[in-house]
Amino acid sequence: MIQKRNAIKISNWRGLAVSQSGAPLQEIRPANTVQTVGMLGADYPGVRAELLVSSGDQVIAGMPLFCDRKRKDILFTSPVAGRLTDITIGAKRRFSSLTIEIEGNQRTQFAIPEKPDRDQAQRLLLESGLWPGFLARPFGRIPNPGSAPDAIFITAMDTRPQAALASVVLAGRAETFERAVAFLTALTDGPVFVCQAPGPRLVDEGAQVRCATFDGAHPAGLAGTHVNRLFPVRGKRQVWQINYQDVLALGHLLETGELVSERIISLAGPCVRQPRLIRVPAGVNLTGLTDGELSDGAKCVLSGSALDGRESRYLGRYHWQISVWPRRPAVQARNWLRSAKARAQPGPVIPTEALEHALGPRIPVMPLVRALSVGDAETAERLGCRELLEEDMALITHRTGGRQDFSAMLRLVLNSLEVSA
Amino acid sequence: MIRGIWTAQSIAWLIVAALLPALVVVLIEQGLQGAFRIAVSLGAIGFWQLVFAVVRGQPMSPAGSVAAVAVAVLAPGEISIGQLVLALTFGTVIGELIFGGWGRNVLSSAVVALAFLYFSFPETQHDPAGIRIVLASVPAAILLLVTGILSVRVLFSAIAALVAVTFLLGEDASVLLTQGSLAFGLVFLVGDPVTSASTNPGRWLYGGLSGALAGLFGWAGAGFGAPQTIVYAALLASIFAPLIDHGVIATMGYLRRPDHG
Repeated sequence: MIQKRNAIKISNWRGLAVSQSGAPLQEIRPANTVQTVGMLGADYPGVRAELLVSSGDQVIAGMPLFCDRKRKDILFTSPVAGRLTDITIGAKRRFSSLTIEIEGNQRTQFAIPEKPDRDQAQRLLLESGLWPGFLARPFGRIPNPGSAPDAIFITAMDTRPQAALASVVLAGRAETFERAVAFLTALTDGPVFVCQAPGPRLVDEGAQVRCATFDGAHPAGLAGTHVNRLFPVRGKRQVWQINYQDVLALGHLLETGELVSERIISLAGPCVRQPRLIRVPAGVNLTGLTDGELSDGAKCVLSGSALDGRESRYLGRYHWQISVWPRRPAVQARNWLRSAKARAQPGPVIPTEALEHALGPRIPVMPLVRALSVGDAETAERLGCRELLEEDMALITHRTGGRQDFSAMLRLVLNSLEVSA
Repeated sequence: MIRGIWTAQSIAWLIVAALLPALVVVLIEQGLQGAFRIAVSLGAIGFWQLVFAVVRGQPMSPAGSVAAVAVAVLAPGEISIGQLVLALTFGTVIGELIFGGWGRNVLSSAVVALAFLYFSFPETQHDPAGIRIVLASVPAAILLLVTGILSVRVLFSAIAALVAVTFLLGEDASVLLTQGSLAFGLVFLVGDPVTSASTNPGRWLYGGLSGALAGLFGWAGAGFGAPQTIVYAALLASIFAPLIDHGVIATMGYLRRPDHG
């Protein structure tokens, strides 16, 4: 019965799907060795960073680099051992980025509690820097230490274009994964959902652990879709989501006491010579990594997918792929008619039926798009936008031509709802 | 971030592509005179779009050409060039451009232009479009359905409601199959994604309403032979579309409340 209820098919309009050109070979292959990794303040909106190190310091993997000024328990730890070469501070004296030159292989040893209660479990996650792997819905912030969610969602699949298959990444690491999932049940009294693609179950169901399979094209693999179908965010409910690779890192930490911030990502896209899966440290420098890997011509290297990626020097905290696309040349207006065209407002969103499939959660798309584009927080909330995060809107932005960024509009509305909440 | 190709512009071009079979039928049936009228119509629509593009910075849209072909198919009677230009000017400007152009309009410019023609010059007789237009509408419907531009829900519920009304009135449903005006109107006027309801439950209601209205007007009013039937049905249904959406959203909001699970 439960099995049947939790096998969910998400329909999608394949005719309007995202380009799959440059799909990766789903095998882990060697990659360039990189010298530097970096961390970006832009990855953590809502966090005011307070630096705990200074330029030139030697750091080892797992050592805290900065914390949230308002919630000092939330630590952001170094993914590698090395020397801090560069810290940049941006506007309003906000932390912008830091760079670490990789040297050596030293790691912090963390004490692993035998049978952790909620407090101990939280402390381990906070100290090791794995806590920021969680994002809370509503509002998509790193959750407050000391709070407990009503449910945890582990996203053990990725349906973004050119993404790595979770089954390949998890191959041979089932025990590590299962161990971490069991650990996470300490954080909540509610269910821990493992959302996966069709195939053999990743974990055994237990008192708290539930398995759910989601079938179909993007956005079937987004946490927003899973949350909406299994445990909708209504009233005062709060759910946390976490990516399966963060869960794997936790599993490794539990097994060895060491933090290994390695992730398996896909390096793909039409401009990559050999699209494939690679093993890289978190925050890897994209310039070094893609050196000699790309075809000729102008292109943009995105941290993240074609839908929600951004051009960046380093791999983002919540990105699990690098995609490289040809860069469109800027069009010069040659005459008055063309310049009038270029000045024209962005085209309207045409409410085609195909657009209904661009949003995973069951929320009417056009009313939501209209409410967001005029910043009508009240209507957007009534439609259920509290349940959404930027990643859920990315496909709508893509499908409507990308001139209006609905993810950014959603963020504005969420911010205003968060203030009044 | 990579931009998708399904902008308002590319959707409009797909609709234009879907119009091509009907355009060919018009050229075969009406010959040079038909070609001339379509050229004049396109000129009038293009002129007003250009004016709004330069003055108001509104993007021009090829979707305006639906009105040109719709007038040729659904108002083939003896109308003067002056009347034609006047109707299309009214349809394009009042129906579409003053709202911000195609995609932001409440009523389709084709429907407004046709209604203007029928009301202002009622003495002109318009022959019904025949079986060839039905045949031209089928590939158009398939193209628009596959690309998700024409809603399956709207088309299906409109046809279902039309057939249901026909049976309720005790009439013969097979007559409907040869009505070119009806087929063209269902695909391009009722099925216009911009002016139909934009929520999924709303699409069922909107399609049902337009089909039922077309059935009523057809059997109890002007008759299916008159192209007015489907145009008035589309006009009334799209006036109700925002109300339908509003009702659907209010109902969904009610069902979403925490105490309703």
